[in-house]
Amino acid sequence: MRFKDVIYPFTTWKHILNEPRTIKHPEDREGSDRYRGFHTNDIQKCIGCGSCEEICQNEAIDLVEVDGIETTHGDSGLRPKVDYGRCCWCALCVDVCTTNSLGMSNRFRWAVEGENELGEHGSPEDYRFVIGAQNKYWDNVKEGYKKPDSYDLTPSTAVEMDHLSPSERSASFVEMMKGYTRQQAQKEADRCVECGICIATCPAHMGIPAYIKAVREDDLEEGLRVVYDSNPLPEVCGRVCTHKCETVCAIGHKGDPVSIRWLKRYIADHVPAEKYAEILGTKQIEKNGKKVAVIGSGPAGLSAAHFLSTMGYAVTVLEALPNAGGMMRYGIPEYRLPYDALDKDINYIQSLGVEFKTNCRVGTDVTILDLKRDFDAVFAATGLPLGRSTRLENADHKKVFQSIDLLREITLGNEIIVPEKIVVIGGGNVAMDITRSLARMQKQKFGVVNVTATCLEPEGQMPADDEEVIEAREEGAVITPGYGPQSIEIKDADTLLGLRVARCVRIFDEEGRFNPSFNTTDTRYYEADMIVESIGQSSDMSYLKSDLNIAFGPRGQMVMDADGQVNGEPWLFVGGDMVKGPDVITGIATGHFAAMGIDRYLNSDDRD
Amino acid sequence: METVLKNVRDRYNVLHETHTHGVFITVSPNDVIGLLAYLKNVEGFTHLVLLTAVDWIEENQFQLTWLVNNPVLKQEMGIRAFIERSVWPEESVMDSAHHLWPAAKTYQRELHEMFGIDFPDSPEVNEPLILEYWDQLPPYRRDFDTKKYSEETYFPREGRYTRDPKTHMEAKLYAREGKKQ
Repeated sequence: MRFKDVIYPFTTWKHILNEPRTIKHPEDREGSDRYRGFHTNDIQKCIGCGSCEEICQNEAIDLVEVDGIETTHGDSGLRPKVDYGRCCWCALCVDVCTTNSLGMSNRFRWAVEGENELGEHGSPEDYRFVIGAQNKYWDNVKEGYKKPDSYDLTPSTAVEMDHLSPSERSASFVEMMKGYTRQQAQKEADRCVECGICIATCPAHMGIPAYIKAVREDDLEEGLRVVYDSNPLPEVCGRVCTHKCETVCAIGHKGDPVSIRWLKRYIADHVPAEKYAEILGTKQIEKNGKKVAVIGSGPAGLSAAHFLSTMGYAVTVLEALPNAGGMMRYGIPEYRLPYDALDKDINYIQSLGVEFKTNCRVGTDVTILDLKRDFDAVFAATGLPLGRSTRLENADHKKVFQSIDLLREITLGNEIIVPEKIVVIGGGNVAMDITRSLARMQKQKFGVVNVTATCLEPEGQMPADDEEVIEAREEGAVITPGYGPQSIEIKDADTLLGLRVARCVRIFDEEGRFNPSFNTTDTRYYEADMIVESIGQSSDMSYLKSDLNIAFGPRGQMVMDADGQVNGEPWLFVGGDMVKGPDVITGIATGHFAAMGIDRYLNSDDRD
Repeated sequence: METVLKNVRDRYNVLHETHTHGVFITVSPNDVIGLLAYLKNVEGFTHLVLLTAVDWIEENQFQLTWLVNNPVLKQEMGIRAFIERSVWPEESVMDSAHHLWPAAKTYQRELHEMFGIDFPDSPEVNEPLILEYWDQLPPYRRDFDTKKYSEETYFPREGRYTRDPKTHMEAKLYAREGKKQ
């Protein structure tokens, strides 16, 4: 050792009389602005998706009920409770938080003061609490770590689907959306945090996170099994579902929700039809010797037929029109739901042994009492086949049509005389369907589109999906929301002149009843050779009413239980749009519930 | 900097170069120590800022990065090399740079402990740095399951419970639908 090395430490003694440069009271020192201290959570913004719990590598987080927070659609009602004995302050929970409700304050000092009931100075339990709900002094501290904007563990933009441009599709009924490729689907599936908040909101309560996981892991067979547990029409739902699930998607809080509907379509599109029976284990179904009739082959009827067949029942589906599918075939246009996609779903259901009797209208070709006699149970789901009229004067003119009738004629291939000027009354999805179908036919026939759709609801509040309105406009249709029809003007019994509308100032009255009022000084007049009414549909239950002992409620609704079992006629179950919805997925759900109800009924002791 | 880079390119086989966030050049592992010595002794990069590693488990490689600094010209350069990722308990091996910078031994001890990358002849490279009695997969390897380790090492506190959002929402919102008994 050198002499210098021995002497050197003593040189610091020259500072002995200087002012100290160290901080005198380090306990008063504030954390930096991005310090990772105690968590903060805006519990009104938090939806209890549990992603923080899932990502925590220390198992420091539990999801628990909290007083004053209710479980609702889109919110589990649970909130994170952190065990600070385990937390390592890594902030992964903050980075993954789907609503950005979770953050960290820069406060890092806190101790329990005083004694607890055991006479201890604080207990470990004091350091385990629901963040943001237990009045800690840092709850409203702004400083501290927040997720930086520069990155997202779950990308906030959905993977776009390739589609036909307006010019490519405006004169064609070819399907507009092209579907995801494997790469696109896996990238989109990767955005799902698997919280399962969506399951409650899906009317059929599909196992959404499980089938998205299957897409991510490229295990489409497993994906198909998960889908068919609750939905036997994935090609249909993958295209036209109202996707209520996406409205509550956790990651939708800070960007696009996961494209759940399109991921379902990806599974159905990419599993070959001939492999379905093997994958779904339906090659050999043991029959139980009981027979069930299903009236109507729409979503509810097909769903019930599917689930009943897999349970071993011999199912006969009666359909009034020439082909099965109901509104999926005769209502939804081909460019949204091509027939081969629909047929893939229906053919599989048929392959289970379901018998389809088409061109067979119950009430005319066969009666409900015949079915009661010949089958062990009956499921009726005949939907909403009748168009509602505006009941304006001249609404019965021969050039005034119902959208639902025209859509059916288009599918049937019957000729529709498409004129140059068309006005559609209505702003729902069916109105958009007929508007866009007629626009295409005008484009084919005349090379130009001249169709106007008008509805009571103002811009932004139309009942139709936003994309339907946007795409209709892209295709050349004129959509003028916020106006209501006042009069249909005619030249004579064969010729229309046009439709006069007035600005709608209110749709519902103080008591919430439909009772529109208009500003009659703000009117418009549309010349029209054809007017299409598309303001709603109603059911036709005449085949049930005549012969049976069914109780109807004050507004004409049937009295039934949660499975759709009708009071007074226990062998009869009902479902689909005529009792609930209206939409495809609700129909599928009611068909499934009825199938389970029928199974219970036919296996119970109290059946007559 | 351009002159330095040109000199480096003339003398070494530069496999990749990026200037996006600072200058980083990738060379073969065999060239690294020679290049570092050249940068230190000839080009004035006399300070080793750090040595660190990234586990590219999918490519079965470790990426090593030496950050060196020229305090006179205030320039910084990163040298990268990819070495094969060993199957634990076998260790990956890289040449030591402690003879150029004595401080390198601490980084090398850390990488040995955290990634299982050995630097033969580096002083005290087998001594633990921060982990005590660690006898399993080095924890910075990406196949180290932090959560599993946490579960096995730290038992849960009594009285803890958690609710799954899916089942909780089912019980609260739709338990009876289609399930009438």
